[in-house]
Amino acid sequence: MSPWLRKTEWHAVASWTWDAQDETCGICRMPFDGCCPDCKLPGDDCPLIWGACNHSFHLHCILKWVNSQTSQAHCPMCRREWQFKE
Amino acid sequence: MEFLGASECNLGILETLSDDTIQEITESYDGFFTTVESIVAGTGDSSVEKEFASHVYSLCKHGLDSLVRDHFLRSLEQAFEKRGASSFWHHFDAYSDKNHPSYGEEIKEVLCKALEEISIEKQYHEKCLSVVVHALQSFKDQSPEARLNSDVERVQLFSRFRSMLSSTLMTTLPQHFPEILHWYFKEKLEELSAIMDEDDTQERESDCMDLDEKLRSKNGEMDVDEGFSRHDDLVKNIGKVVRDLRSIGFTSMAENAYASAIFLLLKAKVHELAGDDYRTSVLGSIKEWIQTVPLQFLNALLSYLGDSVSYGTTSSGLTSPLACCPTPSFSKVVTPSEGIVRWKLRLEYFAYETLQDLRIAKLFEIIVDYPESSSAIEDLKQCLEYTGQHSKLVESFISSLKYRLLTAGASTNDILHQYVSTIKALRAIDPAGVFLEAVGEPIRDYLRGRKDTIKCIVTMLTDGSGGNANGSGNPGDSLLEELMRDDESQENVGFDDDFHTDDKQAWINASRWEPDPVEADPLKGSLSQRKVDILGMLVDIIGSKEQLVNEYRVMLAEKLLNKIDYDIDTEIRTVELLKIHFGEASMQRCEIMLNDLIDSKRVNTNIKKASSQTGAELGENELSVDNLTSTILSTNFWPPIQDEPLELPGPIDKLLSDYANRYHEIKTPRKLLWKKNLGTVKLELQFEDRAMQFTVSPTHAAIIMQFQEKKSWTSIDLAAAIGIPIEALNRRVNFWISKGVLRESTGTVSNANVYTLVESITDSGKNESEELLAGDEESERSIASVEDQLRKEMTIYEKFIMGMLTNFGNMALERIHNTLKMFCVADPSYDKSLQQLQSFLSGLVSEEKLEFREGMYLLKK
Repeated sequence: MSPWLRKTEWHAVASWTWDAQDETCGICRMPFDGCCPDCKLPGDDCPLIWGACNHSFHLHCILKWVNSQTSQAHCPMCRREWQFKE
Repeated sequence: MEFLGASECNLGILETLSDDTIQEITESYDGFFTTVESIVAGTGDSSVEKEFASHVYSLCKHGLDSLVRDHFLRSLEQAFEKRGASSFWHHFDAYSDKNHPSYGEEIKEVLCKALEEISIEKQYHEKCLSVVVHALQSFKDQSPEARLNSDVERVQLFSRFRSMLSSTLMTTLPQHFPEILHWYFKEKLEELSAIMDEDDTQERESDCMDLDEKLRSKNGEMDVDEGFSRHDDLVKNIGKVVRDLRSIGFTSMAENAYASAIFLLLKAKVHELAGDDYRTSVLGSIKEWIQTVPLQFLNALLSYLGDSVSYGTTSSGLTSPLACCPTPSFSKVVTPSEGIVRWKLRLEYFAYETLQDLRIAKLFEIIVDYPESSSAIEDLKQCLEYTGQHSKLVESFISSLKYRLLTAGASTNDILHQYVSTIKALRAIDPAGVFLEAVGEPIRDYLRGRKDTIKCIVTMLTDGSGGNANGSGNPGDSLLEELMRDDESQENVGFDDDFHTDDKQAWINASRWEPDPVEADPLKGSLSQRKVDILGMLVDIIGSKEQLVNEYRVMLAEKLLNKIDYDIDTEIRTVELLKIHFGEASMQRCEIMLNDLIDSKRVNTNIKKASSQTGAELGENELSVDNLTSTILSTNFWPPIQDEPLELPGPIDKLLSDYANRYHEIKTPRKLLWKKNLGTVKLELQFEDRAMQFTVSPTHAAIIMQFQEKKSWTSIDLAAAIGIPIEALNRRVNFWISKGVLRESTGTVSNANVYTLVESITDSGKNESEELLAGDEESERSIASVEDQLRKEMTIYEKFIMGMLTNFGNMALERIHNTLKMFCVADPSYDKSLQQLQSFLSGLVSEEKLEFREGMYLLKK
């Protein structure tokens, strides 16, 4: 640091985004950076979840989907068997 | 002549008359004439009266009694005209060409004297009249059939005499006499009022006296007694004048004169008491004054006159146009107390009206300092309840609004402030809001035409703590308070009420229903729509709450982005209050924005904790993570943010990417995207001879930090290093130049300036410019304003509008709006409000693309 610049306090601005391939959730068609229709607050309160097939959805959306399936649930995008990614 | 007339009519009788009888009649007739003359002239004695009586007797015997009466009255009239009336008016001749102020004291005496004289004259004539009556009486006493109506005859004769008298006076009445009377009463009343005031102060003084002083306060009592006796004397004096005036038939003139004097005095008193001070209520003291001065005077006067005058004639004089209640029956028996009550009502009505007019004329000023002037408003309310002249208020206030407030010179803030005060003040006068509706309309219409209205309203809402630049009155405070006040009253009307409470509320509302006041304009909708809610009325100006919320969101975003301490308590409070008014759903995005700030604070602490645990070694040129704080946004919920590219200096860039990595670690699978041009940087510069602190934008900081590497930069190189356009750079650099940190010099390469760091003041030619303001604040807006957004969205419709106007020639706002709604249904469909369209069109007008004439838009040729 140069001697004449004594102190720097930087307050920066950023935006967060989900590190996902898609922009929107394939189930509710809402943007990932927003939230699912049942939620009010984005981010921690409405997280994303990845399947073994690498497709991502709002957690709430895919849970609804999985729970509504009588037999084994499939990924709504690629029809592969739905497994949560480890 | 009567004689001839009579003989002509009774030709038959004439035939029957004997010569003797004719002889007798002519003799009596001649004798009658001479005696009448001497009686009227006052030269006759008792013998003449006797002679007179015998002549009358003989004339009456022949049925000529009407001749007796007529002739006698006529000679009385002539005598009175000659002596009484002319001499009476002669007294006032000297004052005929003078104006009021110059009447002087002596006129009072002159008036009294003249009245006395004329009364004596009248008494004398009455005496003469009673001689005739007596003579006629004695004749009738002998003819039994006429005995019964003898009394009637007497009354008839006297009333004929009186009307003769007053008509004689009236016909010769000089024009200035009523004025003299008026002036006289005015003077006397003022005297009286002064005496009463003295008494009042004396009483007050004696009230203030100590106990031991009260013990020996006999002197004081004496004084009061003296005051009362002076007062009584004065009233008696006036009473005598009034009585004399009445006796010569000037009842109504006298009544008019003292009534107008009283009203004049009352008016002066009201003006004196009310004045230009709106902080105190004056109605009470006015009423008190009415009670003490004019009513006491009238009470004394009426009771003084009460016995001597029959009220049958008085009541006809009481038909003043100001009388608010129909005058009671013209019965002859009116008790004085009833008269007093009527006077009291008249006087109070007049006082109310005067005060009301006074206050209405000054309503604008009163409302300007409203919370302080609430007592004046309260007075006005009471006056209006009494007089019911609300329409006067509306008209006068609207015209003063148009003249004084709704002009180009008034700032929108002031207009809004006045509007809010008006709402509050008129709400006090008329809780139903009927008149407010009428008064508010011109203000609302005017405000709709102003571009900065929304902004001002939102600023008023948010800047509760003195954000108002001109500092006048600080309307924001009151508006926030208003929000909170309404908050309490609306608490039970939640948005997610279940069915039952809704039902209950509906029942409560229904049972509270009251009909609109009669003054309500039926076209303006009913009471339920006219709920007096300040925020609601402000929203009404804007058109829709969405627009207001949008504008608020932009303002909130701007504010939050400039926060560095995450302190958002006031914002949370405001949003909570707005939520109550606008519903949770419309404030959702604002809430997320606030939540982002709260989350950012938490994340910030977490990241710092994590980094201190790892205890990473800092390189020489590296900054610790403690130097960095951040605000992390959920971009989707924020208004569009202006993103500019910016290359930050190495150490800062590294710091940011470290921070982002840590965030990614903590919040996987989320990651950060920096908006490098946004934020706030606090710098402390220390040179050989000076230390300076700055709070600047990242771009400014990036510029100055580049000078750590190199002491001087050409503008082209610097712009490249920072990664911003050269124009933007030049604008930013000016800030540092004005602060004396950099110096500008023309470089070798044309078009490129050289900036050099000023390391000590002695190097620099000029650094007195310390006081220069921090350059280009306005270009620092990081959020696109609502107008800009709207403008961008509207430009696609510009072609449509132009096309429409080419086809139709000219169109009104409404029609353009409807046509757009009808035809622009495809993507993107037209969803703007009338107000938005209007502001867009006025933008086109100011760009000289369109013309606006008589409410129609047309293409500019």
